[in-house]
Amino acid sequence: MSTHKITVKINGGLEQVEVPSNMSLLSMLREKLALTGVKNGCAAGECGACTIMMNGEPVNSCMVLAVEADGAELVTVEGLTTEGKLDAIQEALIDKNAVQCGFCTPGILISANALLTRNPNPSETEIREALVGNLCRCTGYIRIIEAVKAAVEMHKEEA
Amino acid sequence: MSKIKHMIGKSIEKPDARDKVTGQALYPGDINLPGQAYMKVLFAERPHAIIQDIDISKAVKLPGVIAVLTAKDVPVNEYGLIMNDQPVLCGPGSKKPFAERVRFIGDQVALIIAESESLTEQAKKMINVEYQDLPVISDAREAKNDHGKLVHPDRESNVFCHYQIRKGDLEKGLHEADVIIEGEYITPVQEHAFLQPEAGIAYIDEEDRVTIMVAGQWTHEDQEQIAHSLDLPPDKIRVIYPAIGGAFGGREDMSVQIDLALAAWHLMKMGIHKPVKTIWSREESIIGHHKRHPYFVKTRWGATHEGKITAAEVELVTDGGAYAYTSTKVMGNATLMCTGPYEIPNVKVDSYAVYTNNIPNGAFRGFGGPQGAFVAECQVNKLAEAINMDPVEIRMRNLLREGSLLSVDTPMPKGVTIDKVVHKCAEKAGWKNTDKGWQAPAISKKNTDIIKHGIGFACSYKNVGFSFGAPESCTAKVELHGKDTIEHAILYHSGADVGQGAHTIFIQFMAELLNLPLEKIHLIASDTARTGQSGSASASRITFMAGNSIVGAVNNALKKWINNERPAIAEYEFRPPKTTPFDPQTGKCQPNFSYGYVAQVVDLEVDTQTGKIKLDKVICVDDVGKAVNPLLVRGQIEGATVQAQGYALMENFIQKEGRTYTPTLSTYLIPTILDIPEQINSIILEEADPIGPLGARGMGEMPFLPFTPAVVAAVHAATGIWFDEFPLTPERVISKLHEKG
Repeated sequence: MSTHKITVKINGGLEQVEVPSNMSLLSMLREKLALTGVKNGCAAGECGACTIMMNGEPVNSCMVLAVEADGAELVTVEGLTTEGKLDAIQEALIDKNAVQCGFCTPGILISANALLTRNPNPSETEIREALVGNLCRCTGYIRIIEAVKAAVEMHKEEA
Repeated sequence: MSKIKHMIGKSIEKPDARDKVTGQALYPGDINLPGQAYMKVLFAERPHAIIQDIDISKAVKLPGVIAVLTAKDVPVNEYGLIMNDQPVLCGPGSKKPFAERVRFIGDQVALIIAESESLTEQAKKMINVEYQDLPVISDAREAKNDHGKLVHPDRESNVFCHYQIRKGDLEKGLHEADVIIEGEYITPVQEHAFLQPEAGIAYIDEEDRVTIMVAGQWTHEDQEQIAHSLDLPPDKIRVIYPAIGGAFGGREDMSVQIDLALAAWHLMKMGIHKPVKTIWSREESIIGHHKRHPYFVKTRWGATHEGKITAAEVELVTDGGAYAYTSTKVMGNATLMCTGPYEIPNVKVDSYAVYTNNIPNGAFRGFGGPQGAFVAECQVNKLAEAINMDPVEIRMRNLLREGSLLSVDTPMPKGVTIDKVVHKCAEKAGWKNTDKGWQAPAISKKNTDIIKHGIGFACSYKNVGFSFGAPESCTAKVELHGKDTIEHAILYHSGADVGQGAHTIFIQFMAELLNLPLEKIHLIASDTARTGQSGSASASRITFMAGNSIVGAVNNALKKWINNERPAIAEYEFRPPKTTPFDPQTGKCQPNFSYGYVAQVVDLEVDTQTGKIKLDKVICVDDVGKAVNPLLVRGQIEGATVQAQGYALMENFIQKEGRTYTPTLSTYLIPTILDIPEQINSIILEEADPIGPLGARGMGEMPFLPFTPAVVAAVHAATGIWFDEFPLTPERVISKLHEKG
């Protein structure tokens, strides 16, 4: 298997990584960069637990080859916190008890964050639509919707 | 001491939530240790066969492969939670009779241990297994009576569990009835689909213990089963749970535990000191662990015109799959709960669990309760229709009350509140209690030619804790540190936090009982080397059992504190009132020591053109005794309701001839955020359980139980059709609508 040296901007820092050509971006993040906040729930683009931001868009990192990310800007759940301070959406998920087992949480956070970045004032329907790719088996999603709504309000107060 | 009490009843933040929202929480697959090797399982991937030969010679020669283990390498090649009927590895060479047989597609044949994950994959393909296929036994109803084709040739029959209840005189009861409703029901298989597939890492710790970090539900049971298979004393095995990515009963039985322990132990014997790690793929998870039991039911119930249920006869047959897992316990619950939370004078129940070559069935939220509730609630709703009585009114005339005799002829434990729960739920949904009894609200939404509306009612009860004589206890250890005042306290507890928030609850109990701020409580959890036997995180038992154990340990530690012991250290083992098994003839027993009660109303619409069902509103009233953390309670109600929605409407696990056609999350569909009800109205009642810790009852499973029959009743109200089999996929709904014409 041939390997490739790629460079990614990840959570604000630059990283050079040598990856086999068949390695998924998910495997690279978990195995090469120890970003285990990115979860592997199916490796088939079905559950959304591995969702990360790639060049400003949420993607299932299991469905992207690592080599495709050469030169890309990536944000994982680890990158949502700035200098130890949680983002509003992270605080909101805690406040509303939208975290049970927490395995889907990193993906939920990235999808929600992507939504709020492009649409700071989403309707409930828009919230539901933005999170349709993220399966959660514990919460029944109600608290998650509440949390996104609360994060919207928190952002408004900050602004 | 300043008063900071009232930690109970407060929605405090979960102590693990921050790590979970920052990606710092470590699940078993996230843990890496220096020099680790990787392990892969070779699954049989055929439902019934005899393994003639396993040739590993090529695989072991591949550079980087450390070992390939087969049946002959397992010291005691058997395991099981209630009976040791499953080989750890199938194949020739072990002492276990018939271990060379594979009995379902997820049976394990070999373990490949290598320097990298890709090498394990490569080596797996180099193993040559010679199989002689056998006829596949896939229908439990046929297997029940067929003694010629056996799944386990060392048994006389495929039936491995039979219970019966004989209360009163069934024929007399049926004779007294004005109407008799007969029914045949089928409930489906359900897959847990927890988001974290099975994973773990094993190593030899500083005290030479084979140590396994894994996600499970019962550390000490894992330890015991591993010890049995490795033929080691339990204290040479250490089980630790890091963060657990959901469970719902799906981690109650072994998956990777024994494999990992065997691998690390085998390497040690080879003089190789390497941790061993494994992560299952989603497909391996789906074929590799058990499912919710499907049930095949025949029943008839009688009632008078006055709405008095006079008799119930039920025959339950369940498919246990290839091995017993917890089938006997699940069947116990179903046998009790198939006649509902009603006092019925004449009852006859016969239940059978049967081996087949399907994936084994076992624990799943509700544990036989949902299947039982489906039968009972559908029957009561049909009786109500037959005698033209309101479904709430007929329930009020038959519900279990304080002192009522169960079908197993013993009184309910004190604190029966199902009538209050039904009352509250009916009221919230717009029912009126009139001179003529309870009356349902008129449906305000207008039906069109295509869209039909309906509401449905159901209620259930579910035991808290282990039943039918199973040993039941829970241990806590508490340390109180400080000089004049308690400065901080440490709780040692094995109770598993599978995501439900058990550890939050433990800390709340500690803070309340010791009057300490939360940050002064430290929890050391789920490590068999440090924490005592807690029993499993299942059966809605953890709040009740762990809470009681913590109350006892704190009381004992405070006594020592007053006697100036520093630190004051005390352990306490809580034992609830004893339960007893079914009498083989009559079924008479004391089945349980505590129950939780729940009622639901489902308001939905059916699109008669597409067969699609849309849930507008669910009202769920749940008596939890005391809501230790109300937001966590809501999380359980909503989570259980949506899981039940998947069960009732969507989740269609397909097996044919022992093979699975839905091994992925794109073929086995669970609810997404776009599928859930518009609204879930959770109403929490707090009628103290007399023996619950600070009054708390268990509640994690209860909201699952009445959901499906409530949906079926609502669909009947909308369309006039009774569905006796589910999930109510659009396909099933539309074909029934067409049949009706």
